[in-house]
Amino acid sequence: MNLQKVISGFFFILAMTLNFGFFYGDTEDLLMHTNYELYAALVVSLIATVLKIGDKTQIGSVLLASSLVADMQLITATIVWTLTESMTVATMAMIVSLSGGALMANITSVILYIGETLKSKR
Amino acid sequence: MNNNALWIILQRLRTPLLVIIITYSIAILGMVLIPGLDDKGEIYHLSFFDAFYFISYTASTIGFGETPYEFTYDQRMWVLICIYLTVIGWFYAIGTLVSVLSDKMLRFEIMKGRFRKRVKALDTNFIIILGYNHINSQVIPKLLNYGLEVVLVDISEDKINGFLLEDISHSIPVMVADAMLTETLQDAGIHHKKCIAVVSHFYKEDKNLRITILTKFLNPNIKVITKATKRDTITSLLDTDIAKVENPFEIFAKRLDIALTAPHIMILENWIYKNYDLTHEATFLPQGKYIICGYGRLGRAIKEKLDFHDIPYVIIDESVMPTKKMIEHELFISANADDKEVLLEAGIEEASVLIAGTQNDIDNISIILTAKKLNPKLYFIARENTMKEVSIFEAANIDWLFMIERILINKTSLQLANPLKHTFLQKIIYKDEMWGNALVNLLKSQLGNNPKLMNLTITRQRAYALYNKIEAGERIHLDILLKSLSDWTKYHKAIPLLLKRGKNEILLPRDEILKLGDQLLFACDEESKEEIEYIASNMYDLHYICTGEEKKNWALNKFMNAFK
Repeated sequence: MNLQKVISGFFFILAMTLNFGFFYGDTEDLLMHTNYELYAALVVSLIATVLKIGDKTQIGSVLLASSLVADMQLITATIVWTLTESMTVATMAMIVSLSGGALMANITSVILYIGETLKSKR
Repeated sequence: MNNNALWIILQRLRTPLLVIIITYSIAILGMVLIPGLDDKGEIYHLSFFDAFYFISYTASTIGFGETPYEFTYDQRMWVLICIYLTVIGWFYAIGTLVSVLSDKMLRFEIMKGRFRKRVKALDTNFIIILGYNHINSQVIPKLLNYGLEVVLVDISEDKINGFLLEDISHSIPVMVADAMLTETLQDAGIHHKKCIAVVSHFYKEDKNLRITILTKFLNPNIKVITKATKRDTITSLLDTDIAKVENPFEIFAKRLDIALTAPHIMILENWIYKNYDLTHEATFLPQGKYIICGYGRLGRAIKEKLDFHDIPYVIIDESVMPTKKMIEHELFISANADDKEVLLEAGIEEASVLIAGTQNDIDNISIILTAKKLNPKLYFIARENTMKEVSIFEAANIDWLFMIERILINKTSLQLANPLKHTFLQKIIYKDEMWGNALVNLLKSQLGNNPKLMNLTITRQRAYALYNKIEAGERIHLDILLKSLSDWTKYHKAIPLLLKRGKNEILLPRDEILKLGDQLLFACDEESKEEIEYIASNMYDLHYICTGEEKKNWALNKFMNAFK
């Protein structure tokens, strides 16, 4: 067992689950999406990105790229949230769909990560 | 992922980045969760943005104060923790960033990246120069003057810095790297289609050999100009088929040979190297006895030539063992040449030439000074190994100074910058005195004491009119280029010296039929140079020279005919 693998795997999957937690629920229901969860998703996603830096292999590059996509989507979502004066259903729909995009990127990244782990002989 | 520099920075900054993200997120979350009081005394929570804003200026120690409302004691307690947490994280990150940026490896990577980019962007023919030594430092400005680009690589940072301080108007790509590595040669642009040659003048000859072999495998279309004096190295170098080997001792021995038999060839050579003009007196070496001090590579090369011409000589050297034959014929004295008795024993009083050819410059000077006292009428030849002591040698009033570095500088730069002149030189050294004398007199009588040289290659760019005519199938003799534009039945003063067609070289051509791609070398003056250029590139001038008539403008002709 490799502690480094545990830590990075933990953050990769946590980034995805938190992202899903925020995304899940009726898009038009403002109460179903809390800003705390978005915040947690963003922070964990950033940590996951930093953990992915430094792997120069082909799969490492794609992992980093997908993580950067997720960050970008989540940061955009938080900026939108900050800039709205009063939260409307339309704005919330936009934020949630942005996080949905981030979720896709996170899922891609987790699938790649699992694939790489399965491929490894050790 | 070629950008190594960026990767190095990112990899080193991983931990600091993690620290910043984690400390910030904890601090921000705390700020959001802890309730504060607004100006009306009501409970409120900071938004994530407010918290992020506050932490950002606190962590970086800018400290704008408490926003949007004054903090409660609960909040201040948390801020206190935040300050110690985030400020430390922030400083740690900044410290790491600074240390990474001043890191030698990173600076090297950045330099390498910049070097690669500059080499890739080169769009004129260029030459890779390996090692910044005295020879190459003289060769570089000469090549730049000829419009060639140069790429310089040296393993020592000090030398590269020394080069950057030199007063060279043109900035060239330089890199600190080991020239013995394939990667360095690749970075220096050995695969670049504009790269024409590699210059490798390392003192250690096996290095030169290694570079030649590397180049051969990387790109066999590139010439390698290199130096070698040991016989086995020379043969291995020549076996690679791409090396142009310069052996200064062999070159000097050949010059000695020329000076003994055909001094006028030497005048031509000096004129082409721009050392002297044609009036420079021919060096007739006396045919009497020679004293050779030093029996190394130079001594051996000279001995061969003297043997060939049956000239008597004595060799003095203390470190080399003579052969039996040499002792029997009393050709060898095993002693230090810098000694009166030894020189007298060698017969300095009746000798006519003394060659001070040891490896040590000071020894050579000292031998010359001693010998001058014993027999001031001698013809003195001295070898100078490095150009550091030029002034001493000049002050010693030596008849013929043989400078290894000067020979290499001249030869390398001529070979690269003007291969046609170099070919001409290589051809004429096998001609005899009569030929040389005739050519010198012809040049002097037609063109004066210091004629110019010009190249003409029959290409669309250089000789538009000629190129088109030849391409159309007309037979054009070289003679055409020599006719005068003011009267086509007369000739101007230029003299064609060489015609190069592929691998064939014709000395002093006159009536050859020109072909596409021919390279011509003329001796000329300012006027005849212009005439040749006009004839080669101007259709009207060429027509006049060929037929004696003015070529009529087609459109104008039609126009005139219409009115007839």
